[in-house]
Amino acid sequence: MATDFLKDYQAQAQQSWDAWTRYMQQQPAGGSAFFNPAGFNPAAFAAPGMPPQGGPAGDLLARSMAGLKSYTEWLQGAASSGIGQGGDWQRQLQDLFAGAGGQPFAQAFAGIDTAGAQGFAQSWQSWLQAAQSGGLGGLPGMGPMPAFGYTREQQMQQQALAAAVREYLETQGRYQALIQRANTEGFERLQSQLSQLTERGQQLDSLKALYDQWVDASEAAYAEIALSDEFRVAYGDMVNAQMRVRHLQQQQLEAYCRELGMPTRSEVTALSKQMHELRRELRTGSKQAGVKPANAASDEAADLRAEIAALKRKLAENTSKASAPKESRPASATPIRKAATSSAKSQASKSAPSKTPARKASASRKPVAKTATRRK
Amino acid sequence: MYAPLSMDPAKILAEITTFQRKLAAGVGNLRGLREPEYANTPREAVYREDKLTVWHFKGSQKPTSKTPILIVYALVNTAWMTDLQADRSLVRNLLAQGEDVYLLDWGYPDGADRWLGLDDYINGYLDRCVDAVRERHGLKAINLLGICQGGAFSLCYTALQPGKVKNLITMVTPVDFHTPDNMLSHWTRNLDVDLFVDTLGNIPAELMNWVYLTLKPLRLNQQKYIGLVDILDNPAELESFLRMERWIFDSPDQAGEAFREFIKDFYQGNKLVDGTLTIGGKPVDLGMITQPVLNIFAEQDHLVPPDASRALGKHVGTTDYTQLAFKGGHIGIYVSSRAQREVPPAIHQWLNTRN
Repeated sequence: MATDFLKDYQAQAQQSWDAWTRYMQQQPAGGSAFFNPAGFNPAAFAAPGMPPQGGPAGDLLARSMAGLKSYTEWLQGAASSGIGQGGDWQRQLQDLFAGAGGQPFAQAFAGIDTAGAQGFAQSWQSWLQAAQSGGLGGLPGMGPMPAFGYTREQQMQQQALAAAVREYLETQGRYQALIQRANTEGFERLQSQLSQLTERGQQLDSLKALYDQWVDASEAAYAEIALSDEFRVAYGDMVNAQMRVRHLQQQQLEAYCRELGMPTRSEVTALSKQMHELRRELRTGSKQAGVKPANAASDEAADLRAEIAALKRKLAENTSKASAPKESRPASATPIRKAATSSAKSQASKSAPSKTPARKASASRKPVAKTATRRK
Repeated sequence: MYAPLSMDPAKILAEITTFQRKLAAGVGNLRGLREPEYANTPREAVYREDKLTVWHFKGSQKPTSKTPILIVYALVNTAWMTDLQADRSLVRNLLAQGEDVYLLDWGYPDGADRWLGLDDYINGYLDRCVDAVRERHGLKAINLLGICQGGAFSLCYTALQPGKVKNLITMVTPVDFHTPDNMLSHWTRNLDVDLFVDTLGNIPAELMNWVYLTLKPLRLNQQKYIGLVDILDNPAELESFLRMERWIFDSPDQAGEAFREFIKDFYQGNKLVDGTLTIGGKPVDLGMITQPVLNIFAEQDHLVPPDASRALGKHVGTTDYTQLAFKGGHIGIYVSSRAQREVPPAIHQWLNTRN
């Protein structure tokens, strides 16, 4: 009976999954060139990864699909495993989480750098193909060789890129090893937590509860490793190595662009820096001249309304200041340590000469009256 | 032997059947769903400069507070977390309490903003926004409410311009970046941020989002979406979920120079608390903050650990320091039901005794 059910279930699950996949394919493609230049491909989402930016639902689905797929497969495996129905629960657990050639949720952890670097890896592969067809020289992986001849500079650049890629792959390997350790230790924690349940006479009676317990255990293991010195070094090395590869790629691309007479990123960056400096100079000049920045705007009517409101406020303050009642401190806010009264503190603030120049400066200004002259 | 797992076969089959049924039905429920709107509390733009806008919110009643609040949000994500949906809005609840609320919306930096540094953001933009609000009200000083990184900016600004800030409120604000449980800070410590920024220019929002997801990879990449299946047949909850997804992933790139400085000086150097921070060549001394300070942090915050915020009390110069521990997380402090009940009234009451 259970076998029949599972057959039906698998058929239903496949239909459901096909419907979701069809729906996904209807979502507009696009997305981040940084992470996923190829657009969404469900097959590429064996690991949770950065999605394309389709419609809101498509975006959500892209992110959620991989996790859901893993989970539904795990449910099927759990239902057929007989877990929790007598026998050696530890062995059943081992089979369910770590059997069949790998942990069913391994990708949830193992993918956390590969998904983040997905676009990087794809662009790197494209780059290699372009480099080969464009005659840029050797593949990354070749050892250093003396460079000479007309293409000496390109050879040097290519060798540097090859070395950077090798370094990146080495750092990625160290990082992945730590992620795998988090996975393993997460499972060990799960076993330990379940043993503790036994000691307390408690039981889990649903697969979702077991899954949630596994998430708790794995996140705790991951957090401990992620806060370790070893992880800090591995993480930093991996990110830095990836940036070196990207940087060298950019340099090569710039050389191509220069040869083709196209504007380069360096030129755009230099121009934006000049523009920024001009913008700052303009603001400094505007401030000294007492006018608003040329690109600042406010609503004239709103300013006039504000001026009237300020005058009314001043008038009201003059008449009611002395009789303003004091209220008690809120119960939910907990004053600690420096428990002076607000009035005493206010006095202290006012009497600190070294801390008042800005206030004096602003007090000498007539902000509302100046508004009209400051307008663009 | 007593086993910790007791799975009734019939219940297990029912569990996975139910899950599959909900999953299958969910496709239909998602089809045709439009992008959920934020709360969109009535507002008008009162100041614009480059990409930023200062919004003035309109409540159903006139504000009773005499001093307006300017909310200073972080550069990461968008300021609409403060006005996410009608029944989960810090802004609306502050308005309902009688506060006069302004919001600094930094906008979306592009390549032209690559060179904006902390000096531009704090001594430039923020100062001019504060001036704009002060001018509108004819006040020497206004109240600042800084959120997360915006809280760190507000601390720097208040230390640099103490005369323009009457009361300072910080929410989930990192102050001590080197507490041992600060995962983000830990990961940045060995980062060659010069190479990082020189290579990437502006820091892509997708990269920032991905880093945040990897702080809790299983919860945020998988478990959350498995939980989603349970609400696929509930349009209201589904809309709330999608709205939150919109906010999480609709985020701005980071201006390269500001990112470089923030990582170097705050995350790596921890200069805000060791007293060596300078912004635009001016020293930032938290001891210069002598106005009342309300520091609100979240006890289950995985982005800004509570101890990172609590440290503020040791470094500000004020004698009127109040801290409020909220039972929730970095986002829950704005959108949870508890937050709606507790946070805005606490802010209002605290301000009311000091305005």
